[in-house]
Amino acid sequence: MIAALALAAGIVVGLVFRPTVPIWLEPYLPIAVVAALDAVFGGVRARLDGIFDAKVFVVSFISNVVVAALIVFMGDKLGVGAQLSTAVVVVLGIRIFGNAAAIRRHVFRA
Amino acid sequence: MPEQPAPTGNLISAQLLVDLVTNTLDPGYAATARQRGRDAPRRWSDRPAVALGCALIGFILVVAYIHTHRGAPQAAKVHDSLVARVRAAQHRVDGLAAQAQQLNDSLTVLRDQALARSGPLSRQLGREQLLAGQTAVVGPGLQVVLKEPPSAATTGPPGRGGSAPGAATNILSDRDVRSVVNELWADGAEAISVNDVRLTPTSAIRFAGDAVLVDFAPITSPFTIRAIGDADNLATGFASSAVASRYQTLAGANGIGFAFTEHKKLTLPATPVASPRFAHPATATSSPAPPGPTR
Repeated sequence: MIAALALAAGIVVGLVFRPTVPIWLEPYLPIAVVAALDAVFGGVRARLDGIFDAKVFVVSFISNVVVAALIVFMGDKLGVGAQLSTAVVVVLGIRIFGNAAAIRRHVFRA
Repeated sequence: MPEQPAPTGNLISAQLLVDLVTNTLDPGYAATARQRGRDAPRRWSDRPAVALGCALIGFILVVAYIHTHRGAPQAAKVHDSLVARVRAAQHRVDGLAAQAQQLNDSLTVLRDQALARSGPLSRQLGREQLLAGQTAVVGPGLQVVLKEPPSAATTGPPGRGGSAPGAATNILSDRDVRSVVNELWADGAEAISVNDVRLTPTSAIRFAGDAVLVDFAPITSPFTIRAIGDADNLATGFASSAVASRYQTLAGANGIGFAFTEHKKLTLPATPVASPRFAHPATATSSPAPPGPTR
């Protein structure tokens, strides 16, 4: 309940303020989006598994974003930014799929 | 993989992938659950932390959404400004052409005053101007219309680089217009206009990108080619030509619009013709440098 409310609040804040993304932050936006989706699905699955923990949720989300951004940043400096970006998206994408499948099993028992 | 023996060699990388696919949940959840017990009491910080995380996630998602879609209006704006500039330039060209035509008309009036109105010189000048496309002409003739198939206007969203749809190119090109015009000349046309651009002895029908250019004036799909001449001869000559049968076939196969009709009275506009700068009459007997066009 509180999670949904907070999610809506975040969306509203974003819509109201419409922040401009600084140019240097642009490459990390897709990474942040995928990490955010991963955190959401992971959190929902943990909740369904009965092992949800708020601290783990927040810390894992933030650290995922930071680590992913760091990897991409390093890749950009070393000339393999696009490839590492793809790698991050692939890994997090697999996790999202796996968690979504687990959620599906929980919800539909199938 | 805690419960399996440590793999060696090639297996490590394979194990990594298996691990990636099977252990999709953040291991932190399981670790904390093991540490604190399954039904540990809630901490005071749980709800604010969840709220903060969810708000952050919603914020990031919406920022990314806005950021992605803000670029689109920008591109549209640039496109609009380019279109506006092109339109303005076309407007200016139209104005200049009208001015040139006006000056040409007043030149004709002045010349008519200077020359004997029905003298042989005036008559010859009139005929040559007519042939050069410098005077608007009226007469019977044939009108040929070539049109792109209606479905060809598939201007979908701007595709990604390198994936330009092949259907976006037009079927009709300068070649088609040119072949019709050539056929009409061959059938005895005396004056021809394409989309109200009069063809002169120096006219060229070319293309630039997708646009067909007639004397630098871009023209688009319904290509209306008007030819003045003996209407019956033009119609029969054109109808029996290879060009006409080709476009009949194309009309059936590709759905282009193709039609030609005889007209009792067609009006073709005039084109102001620039005076030749390099070409001079070869005969030494002609006057050295006449002020008007020397054609």
